[in-house]
Amino acid sequence: MSYETNRQQVIDWLDDNYHFGDAAKLIKTDDLSFLDNGILDSLGFVQLVLFLEKTFKVKIERKHLSRENFDSLRKIVGYVMAHKDYRDA
Amino acid sequence: MSLSEVELFFFFPVVFALHWLGPRRTGWQNAVLLLASWVFYATWNVRLLPLLWASTAVDWWAARWLDAHPAPEDDKPDPALASKRRWVLGISLVHNLGVLALFKYAGFFAHSLNQLVGALGGGDALPVLRFALPIGLSFYTFQRVGYVVDVFYGTTRATRSPLAFATFVAFFPQLIAGPIGRSTELLPQYEVPRKLLPKMLAGGAAFFLLGLFLKAYVAETLAPVVDPVFAEPDLFTRRAHWGALFGYAAQVFGDFAGYSLLAIGTGRMFGLELPQNFDYPFLSQSMPELWRRWHISLNRWLFDYIFGPLTTGTGWMRGRLDLGFVVVFLASGLWHGAMWTFILWGLLHGLALALHHRYDEYYKTLCRKDRVWVQRRRSRPYKLVAWAGTILFFVLTLVPFRAPSLGGAGTFALGLLRAGGDEGAPGVTPHAYLAVLLVIVYHALETAPLRRLRERLLAAPAPLRGIAYAAAIVFLAVFAPVGAGTFIYAQF
Repeated sequence: MSYETNRQQVIDWLDDNYHFGDAAKLIKTDDLSFLDNGILDSLGFVQLVLFLEKTFKVKIERKHLSRENFDSLRKIVGYVMAHKDYRDA
Repeated sequence: MSLSEVELFFFFPVVFALHWLGPRRTGWQNAVLLLASWVFYATWNVRLLPLLWASTAVDWWAARWLDAHPAPEDDKPDPALASKRRWVLGISLVHNLGVLALFKYAGFFAHSLNQLVGALGGGDALPVLRFALPIGLSFYTFQRVGYVVDVFYGTTRATRSPLAFATFVAFFPQLIAGPIGRSTELLPQYEVPRKLLPKMLAGGAAFFLLGLFLKAYVAETLAPVVDPVFAEPDLFTRRAHWGALFGYAAQVFGDFAGYSLLAIGTGRMFGLELPQNFDYPFLSQSMPELWRRWHISLNRWLFDYIFGPLTTGTGWMRGRLDLGFVVVFLASGLWHGAMWTFILWGLLHGLALALHHRYDEYYKTLCRKDRVWVQRRRSRPYKLVAWAGTILFFVLTLVPFRAPSLGGAGTFALGLLRAGGDEGAPGVTPHAYLAVLLVIVYHALETAPLRRLRERLLAAPAPLRGIAYAAAIVFLAVFAPVGAGTFIYAQF
């Protein structure tokens, strides 16, 4: 799966759970900080981790659970792709 | 000695001068702060100082050992090393939590067990041991536990400097009541020489003054409104009960947010940035939001070290967020004190968060069906009801938080509904009204319509700000209650 496909899945999840159609509009760039811009709160991050592990079949290790890895769309998708053997269909 | 007592005004200048007038070297600055912190701690109880030293040594050793023996990679398993690492972490945790359990909870659990056995017709099962609780034990224990756990999981590296680590553990402004610092944010600051920056110094002094105002004036002025009614609720009218309860909400905010600002301000004056602990909590529109704004450092700790691992780990609790809330807030209740009143308080908040989570999930289903529900949630009436409900719930749960016993909480709660006695509200002076008004204004200045006014006030010319600060100091000197009581949160 490509970056774009994974990216869209994360946006769909954000829409379905937090922003109901506004996620793409709110995330102006893929580097926008989720915490600083109210895209997700700390509980939202726990739910995001559960979603990523289930959807992308990736195990997120505790030492990787940090702002550096999950605070923006690019970081999230980048982490998922780096920890799973994705190949473009 | 605490940060709001007169002795500090003799202690602080000496430490400040030694810190900044000596060599601008990390070692010197840390040595001054460490020695000052131990002296500060000794003013509470010199006999407990060796406990602080022992805990520092154990965690220093555990973190260094874990750092020197990193976890084996997944593709190169080493069960023997993994087991040793768990043992070292276990030694640190058993030591830290064991000391906490012995000093804070042993008496409570033994007493509760004896009561249970007594109710079943038996005698005392355990001797009830009661020790003097080392001041700030819960705060500095959590700070150290967080550090060792972070090193264990590889989130951070262990510091090479024992002096930096000991100063991180004992730094006097945060030693007795936090904020609970994170090693990833604080330790690097102790590993480099600090510079005396005018902005940090001025900002620190302003925080200190604001903290002193909240602690020494707001909290202490409201104590006479609150204490008598909670001590003997039977004597007072319903109105006095409500006055005492809302007065307590303002008092406990002034007390703890004030002390946190004193700590953060003092830290800044030494070139150190401590974490924010309060973020205008009385503006919250839901309980989860309130807990992101009140005692932030403790709630972040509980969230990161208990809630997150429990609900995202591989165990039975995975995904059980509702249960996670209850567990975390029961832990929070116990952290606040070894009393059934705190456990009840924690249970109420855990259930409230679980209920809110269920409501939130239900509301999301409405939003998915029709976006009009999204707009409704953003409307003013919705926000107003959400805010009022949040604040009312928080204030009502302060009954078990403040009451001396479960029976006392019940009596006080009944007094909120029907008059028990005929004595009016005690301690209601113009200063009590002013103290409550200050808490309201403090929060109001953070709301959108007034934020610009606050920014303009803070950007006023230096002489004007100087006059305002001088007026605040004179006001405090004249009107802050003398011989003020103890600091509420230090007992936790």
